Amino acid sequence: MVLLGACYPNGPEYVEDADVVATSYDVKYDFKSQSTFAMPDQIVVDVEIEQGDTTYEYMAPKFATVILDAIQKDMESLGWERVDIDEDPDVLLTPAAMSSTTYFYTYWYDWWYGGWYGGWGWYYPPYYTVGSYTAGTMLLVLADPSQASESPINRSQAIWVAAANGLLTGYYDISRVTDAVHQAFKQSPYLKTN
Amino acid sequence: MPSAMKRIIILALLGICAGTSLLAQNNFVVSYSIAMPTGDLNTFIGKTSFRGIAFDYRYTVRDNIAIGFSAAMNTFYESKDRDTYTVDNISLTGKQYRYSNNIPLLATATYFLSPEEPLKPFVSLGIGTLYSRRNTDMNLYTIQLEAWNFALQPEIGVQYELSDMTAIHLSLKYMHGFQAGNELNSAQSYFSLNVGFAFF
Repeated sequence: MVLLGACYPNGPEYVEDADVVATSYDVKYDFKSQSTFAMPDQIVVDVEIEQGDTTYEYMAPKFATVILDAIQKDMESLGWERVDIDEDPDVLLTPAAMSSTTYFYTYWYDWWYGGWYGGWGWYYPPYYTVGSYTAGTMLLVLADPSQASESPINRSQAIWVAAANGLLTGYYDISRVTDAVHQAFKQSPYLKTN
Repeated sequence: MPSAMKRIIILALLGICAGTSLLAQNNFVVSYSIAMPTGDLNTFIGKTSFRGIAFDYRYTVRDNIAIGFSAAMNTFYESKDRDTYTVDNISLTGKQYRYSNNIPLLATATYFLSPEEPLKPFVSLGIGTLYSRRNTDMNLYTIQLEAWNFALQPEIGVQYELSDMTAIHLSLKYMHGFQAGNELNSAQSYFSLNVGFAFF
């Protein structure tokens, strides 16, 4: 059994191996008849709501610009034209990024049964280790503002959602994010307009 | 399958072997098992498995007929290159790590063609269950599918006697676990080439 355990297959070796890109879209939406999109110049990374005031936290421009450029380039190569938000765009593209940290711990302790003195007991302190990983998600959402009037809550449903998830490391390799953006568009050929 | 159960099975097999190995009507085989996936398993993992072990115990009831049982473990593994998987309107791109663990537990009947000769060809049929667990790992998640299949395993092989106590064992098995349940809901099958020693 030890031998079997020793030769059990390995699995992922690098953090990039865990990177995934997921996309889904509204099959009933007619992407082909649209042509313009608007997108903010910043990427929201966090939202704080304090006593009714909403404050957005944005990604540092040196990272955000690279990502936004990649998004714009991919949209343009699918036939879209970027316009300003007040120029009545057909669709809105809203990027966001977020991270979450998961902590896990393992521990062990020993116990004794004191036959002479009677009773049970634990050896203290427990030995434990804490580990963590931080997963980052890049979200791209496309929505058609003209659909809002058809919704009872005056909001448009997403017509396309892309989520790229990967493990974050201390070393910020922006190409992992831009690669994920390119992949999101590559696996969504239905976004192409005329 | 929990590792405790695996241990119990193996200890039981070893126990039978240790207690009765002096009697000539026992035939206990430990072999290294190389497995080639077929059918649905081959679609999931195309690679040959070099991680396998098999135990076969046979008790001779007539000169050339033996009954016994067989247990094995064959682990298949393949890391797929980054690829896109699409279901309906959802597409997912990433690296996949695929695992399939197979543990057959079978009762067997064996016919030895020339039990008195040093070279003993045999044919065998096993009937029982195949526990199959399939894992697909992607990102931080694993999708796990399990099944306990009704299984048939025809086998052909040969044993070459080295002494009164031991023989070289070589056999080819075809494991077919019929479709079972609604989790891993297709038949699981593979060929395995088993090389090992038989102890009398």
